[in-house]
Amino acid sequence: MNPSQPESVLWDDWHPVGELAQLQRTRILHTMLLGVPLTLVLAADGTIRASGTGSLCHGPLQHVDIRYGLVWLCLGTPGRDIVDFPEAREADRIVCTGGSVGVAVSGLRAVENFLDLGHLAFVHAGYLGEEPHTQIHAYKVEPLADGGILATGCRVYQPHPSPMDSEGFDVDYIYAVRRPYIVELFKANPVEKERMDMIALLVQPVTEERCVAHILMAYPPHNVDVGSLRWFQQLIFGQDRPILENQIPKRLPLDPRAEVSVRADNSSAHYRRWLASVGVRYGTVPAGAT
Amino acid sequence: MNRWFAVSACGEVPHGAVAHTQLLGQELVLWRSASGALNAWENRCPHRGVRLTLGDCVGEELRCQYHAWRFATGSGHCTHIPAHPGQKPASNIRARVYPVFEDGAFIWVNLAHDAVPPNAAAAPPGLALRSIFTRAPVAAVTGQLLHGYADHAVCLVDEFTLDVAPAAHRSVRFMLQPVTGEQCILHAHLHGEVTALERLSVLKVHNALMSAVRDRAEAARA
Repeated sequence: MNPSQPESVLWDDWHPVGELAQLQRTRILHTMLLGVPLTLVLAADGTIRASGTGSLCHGPLQHVDIRYGLVWLCLGTPGRDIVDFPEAREADRIVCTGGSVGVAVSGLRAVENFLDLGHLAFVHAGYLGEEPHTQIHAYKVEPLADGGILATGCRVYQPHPSPMDSEGFDVDYIYAVRRPYIVELFKANPVEKERMDMIALLVQPVTEERCVAHILMAYPPHNVDVGSLRWFQQLIFGQDRPILENQIPKRLPLDPRAEVSVRADNSSAHYRRWLASVGVRYGTVPAGAT
Repeated sequence: MNRWFAVSACGEVPHGAVAHTQLLGQELVLWRSASGALNAWENRCPHRGVRLTLGDCVGEELRCQYHAWRFATGSGHCTHIPAHPGQKPASNIRARVYPVFEDGAFIWVNLAHDAVPPNAAAAPPGLALRSIFTRAPVAAVTGQLLHGYADHAVCLVDEFTLDVAPAAHRSVRFMLQPVTGEQCILHAHLHGEVTALERLSVLKVHNALMSAVRDRAEAARA
């Protein structure tokens, strides 16, 4: 069967396709984006040559860039710039990637899991939550001005909220879904009250049922080192991965009747509605499809 | 399909156990509560679709691994949502439950939701043999069995059931579980008394014979 081109909201946007540090080691990287097999080659002058193979996209690709330590690619015609992460541009922050992990599930399921508060006390017990602190209080979800959604007022008790904190406390969370496959999390910083830790999940949709999850972090410079930050994120994501790979179906259902939601799933419900409203189908089970 | 299929020997699902199987493409979680009540449910939490076989049995409930929602034995109703601990879950939140019964030797499941367990007689005394997973459809396995089993004639009882003509004082009943259209599990029950002393050698002999049936069925498909 000849695959059809995914919708413009994804095809004509930028997606992460690998870590620059990895490409610097191997010089060549084979990967896949939206079903298109890709080859990335790091040239001697530091530029990247990208090419696609397959029926949807064949030959050299024009739109490739390097930002935030990641290689970005747009298969179509960019309708907008790469997502901006202002915190990652603040000079005094520790900014690093957290590693790239392949997951056999739709990337939209991975984003939804990142937004999910109710699993923290169980899947990340001892780190990002623990019993009996399981209750999820009401929080606010609203649209972002330039697309996406914002969740504020999330508060959870965390026994070990970051690699630097060995004592538990109530942590304030803010989530911003910036693109269908890109979501930011802001966590209260224990030292600086006005600045928040930023952790972004940037998902590379490989196929509708496979993804690579990339992490970008920007932390205020207090007792932080890159090795600990990467170790902690990989530990946490390693706890999520077996859950993600055991979700049925692998694609995210957009029909509100397909899966039961409760108040704690406010972010998830808004996220699914927003995806449907902007016409995202890739990686979903569209409403009315079953 | 309104039909009962053997999906496991009873002893494979002891009290408190959570097991995985698949019938006609439908993934199932088989689990037995602390008090011994047996359940066969769709292997999928109604909340976010996570396989319930990742979860565990807590008394008379099955707890999902993802958000620790709990579902009651028998009805499948959600009894507890930790994110909202003070509230009773809505009555429409429930796991999908399939009819199940056991005959003393095997667990039987029917994918028709309104099926009523038959008042079948208990299985005769005997020994559940090791079940054999086969990468070939039911028809390929029955085809091989009909060539004979250890030089004994085999007769087809129905599409999924075969009997080995009694040898001396023992007979074997084969029960086929269609996993998908391309895979099946060959279950077998040896009827007759087996002493503790000969139990292991009997299991070994049939394991070898049934594995050979599997190998021939898979080779015939290749």
